[in-house]
Amino acid sequence: MIKKGILYKSWWKYLCIIFLAYTVIAGFLIPVPVKPILHETIRNLYFHVCMWFAMMFILTVSLYYSIMYLRNPKEDYDIIASQCSYVGLIFGILGLITGALWATYTWEGGTGGAGWISDPKINGAFIALLSYFAYVVLRNAMDDEQKRSRISAVYNIFAYVMMMVFIMIYPRLSNVDSMHPGNGGNPGFNSYDLDSHMRMVFYPAVIGWILLCCWITSINIRTERIKRYLHNI
Amino acid sequence: MNQIMAIIQRELRHELRSRKAWLAIMLYTGSTVYISYLGMQNITDASTHNAVFWLLIIFISMFATSGSFAGRESEMFYIYTLVSPGRFILARLIYNGVFLLSVSLLAFVIFTFFIGFGETNLLLFLSTLLLTVWGISSLLTMSFSIASKGGGGFTLMAVLSFPLLVPLLMTAQHLSELSLAGQSSPGYGGYISVLLALDAMIAALCYLLFPYLWRD
Repeated sequence: MIKKGILYKSWWKYLCIIFLAYTVIAGFLIPVPVKPILHETIRNLYFHVCMWFAMMFILTVSLYYSIMYLRNPKEDYDIIASQCSYVGLIFGILGLITGALWATYTWEGGTGGAGWISDPKINGAFIALLSYFAYVVLRNAMDDEQKRSRISAVYNIFAYVMMMVFIMIYPRLSNVDSMHPGNGGNPGFNSYDLDSHMRMVFYPAVIGWILLCCWITSINIRTERIKRYLHNI
Repeated sequence: MNQIMAIIQRELRHELRSRKAWLAIMLYTGSTVYISYLGMQNITDASTHNAVFWLLIIFISMFATSGSFAGRESEMFYIYTLVSPGRFILARLIYNGVFLLSVSLLAFVIFTFFIGFGETNLLLFLSTLLLTVWGISSLLTMSFSIASKGGGGFTLMAVLSFPLLVPLLMTAQHLSELSLAGQSSPGYGGYISVLLALDAMIAALCYLLFPYLWRD
């Protein structure tokens, strides 16, 4: 059993608690700029956007470990890759839910209508989630451990590259306007006209949520390690 | 190169020998198009026709690709010992690409015969079809290799490939909408280059990743 490494340290978990507590408290208390449609819902920025950042981060980690597994098939790489993508999936679902809530109160004029709008980013995100669901299905379809690890690593790399290229390229090309910021060419983030108050919350929030994501993943990884260890005795 | 040609020839011979498979695919193509014709008699909107056409293309490609793989596991062991995985997948990609292209051209002809798109920029539409179907076929080839290793067959292949097909299809659909507008529509260069990039990327991924599926 491996009992070293950053997963077993606790300082970053305290950091995560501090950042997230700050996000929640300051996020709801610090004044935000008054924008026509958004009003107070702009505070959702600290939650919705961070979910996607955390998802992208953890899926990239998953990709890294899938590549590592193909280069050097160690069981532990497979555990990390799979748990990362499961957690990424959860954060993706949370991102969709927070986004749908936000959309309900802004894009639909607060009538409580559908939160689902055809938007290049939403479609991209939804498809990314579908492909990771397919990854879960694929893993469950196989019993043999080594085979499962290798084949799901292949699919993980395949899916990740397709999705990332799609998410990066498609919004730039789409002639359908995105309601997300940065439409008209750039799917990036720089056109958020955050004022300095919002930045003060937003950056810690991103780090906090990513740390939380890592924390959940680390617990999953450790559980899975123990499960495999018990299974192999 | 010789090996690649040999594999392609072998596949072709295998395919031609089994007339049943050809007939099944042609029948499938014809009947799906005809069913959509029956359902769309009162719909004259060109972009609806376009959407339905791409849906048909997905299902026909899935059917055609899975048919060309079915029941071949035992022969594959024999090929494994003869050629390298990289060459094998290249040959497969070329073969499946050409095969699916001819099937989808057939679908296009039948579709224009029964339903039609109205005024079309034919060159643009056909090049979209070519690039998209090429991408679809490589993607399905890879998904089917993954799915057959996973022991899931057709269902697993559908689950694995649908989300990955979407980028190709969305680009294709936008592009063909442009070609249906009937004028020399600007701005298709970007979409064409996206399709080219996607095709190249899928091929590269297949080439890089297939050897790991191969090893058993």
